[in-house]
Amino acid sequence: MGQPEDILLELNKAVLAGDEAGARELAGRALGAGIAPLAAIDGGLVPGIGEAGRLWDEGEYFLPELVAAAQAMKAAMAVLQPALAVDGGRRGLGRVVIGTVEGDIHDIGKTLVGTLLAANGFEVFDEGADVPPSRFVARARHVDADLLCASALLTTTMSRQRDLVAAAREAGLRAKVCVGGAPVTQAWADAIGADGFADNAVAAVALARRLVGRDA
Amino acid sequence: MTPDDFAARLRDAPLLLDGGLGTLLMAAGLAKGSAPERWNLERPDVIRQVHRSYVEAGSDLIHANTFGASPPKLAAGGLAGRCGEICARAVALAREAAAGAALVAGDLGPTGLLRPPLGTASVEQMRAAYAEQAAALAAAGADLLSIETQYDLQEALAAVQACKATGLPVIASLTCELKKRGAFTIMGDPLVPSLGALAQAGADAVGLNCSVTSPVMLDMARQALPALTVPLAVQPNAGQPRVTPEGVVYDADSEAFARDLLAMARAGARLLGGCCGTEPAFIRRIRELLDAPGALGSSHA
Repeated sequence: MGQPEDILLELNKAVLAGDEAGARELAGRALGAGIAPLAAIDGGLVPGIGEAGRLWDEGEYFLPELVAAAQAMKAAMAVLQPALAVDGGRRGLGRVVIGTVEGDIHDIGKTLVGTLLAANGFEVFDEGADVPPSRFVARARHVDADLLCASALLTTTMSRQRDLVAAAREAGLRAKVCVGGAPVTQAWADAIGADGFADNAVAAVALARRLVGRDA
Repeated sequence: MTPDDFAARLRDAPLLLDGGLGTLLMAAGLAKGSAPERWNLERPDVIRQVHRSYVEAGSDLIHANTFGASPPKLAAGGLAGRCGEICARAVALAREAAAGAALVAGDLGPTGLLRPPLGTASVEQMRAAYAEQAAALAAAGADLLSIETQYDLQEALAAVQACKATGLPVIASLTCELKKRGAFTIMGDPLVPSLGALAQAGADAVGLNCSVTSPVMLDMARQALPALTVPLAVQPNAGQPRVTPEGVVYDADSEAFARDLLAMARAGARLLGGCCGTEPAFIRRIRELLDAPGALGSSHA
């Protein structure tokens, strides 16, 4: 399979199968075959992770498969990214600061969203769980973030998302604030004045792309 | 209580469990983000009162306030190393509130540890955590052990094995969502075979709790019952939490909930209770429906 299109097809398959070692190796082989890093991302990674997201929506894939696919994509990105920099054009879609709100230690959903955003070309700053509004704001200012994403898994900690929106506005941040988590709804996002809401990780990627004006 | 006694008790009549604990503790002022288990030590009066409200509503079995009392979970909540102390206190409080009128189950929720690719934990680490909590609950005098809200079958199986080692009866409940292809845990474990695996591992009863409301759980129970060799426990949520600008509201309708639970009992479920958002009023209404003549139909009378 020396043909560039074969390599990209295999790379997509490796991402879809969550084959981290395979994806890393195929990314290296793509560069070796003279494929431009951007073409490798667009042709070898994006369709694979997109298909994983579709299978998740369909109920064919579950959390382990989705996370494994994202990690395979990340492994391939780690190989392609340095070449991208050499190539001149940084593809970064935008900078995202993400975390679970103060008082809430649930971080599976947040980590999943962060992983998928990174795999899709965003530069992600993961602040972890139990993050006070002041830390969200300080980090967003420090990295000049485009997006601030806050997860809350408990009905009791959701109100901290409201506090975060208020803190971001007060600080005059340009970052748009997105909220998510099991009890969170669009109505809640609207009520607290958030810029966006997504009810799963795949939808979060689409939302992020839309908010940074990179809707594909 | 021995597993044989438990089986005999379930053959006699359906067992009415309790409802949500967290919702009531929040109403009593439990601070946001604070571990409910902390109140076994700091606000024993409130814990005892909540248990008593369920016993008075007609619960035959109440869960001690130990859902998050596994060593890893306690450590994450700033209570590292206090599993034994907290389990002992929690079981004692439930026992005082039960006053001989209800069984006391030690409650074991997920450890929060995750296996690859989501985390780095091993099944062995999970088993060790459950073993410590199960031993603490047994030493504290729990009548039986209730494993709840399990989303990873491998973790649930480790929990059953650890709990069975105490010799107490064990209930093991999964939490499932409805996908296009059927009911699964978030990790992709399919409902019916997974409940079968838990029974195979030695669970004296298997169950479903949380995640879904009573009409959805009724469907899931009907799917599961024909394939089961052990009794089924059902504890749905009261309704999806709905957030209004004023706060969180559960779309709770105790009458519709109780009727769905009665339908599950008629379909063959033997342990009936509620999960998030359910309150003593829900349990009281199920009690009334169950106690009515012919409640379970002629075949179960």
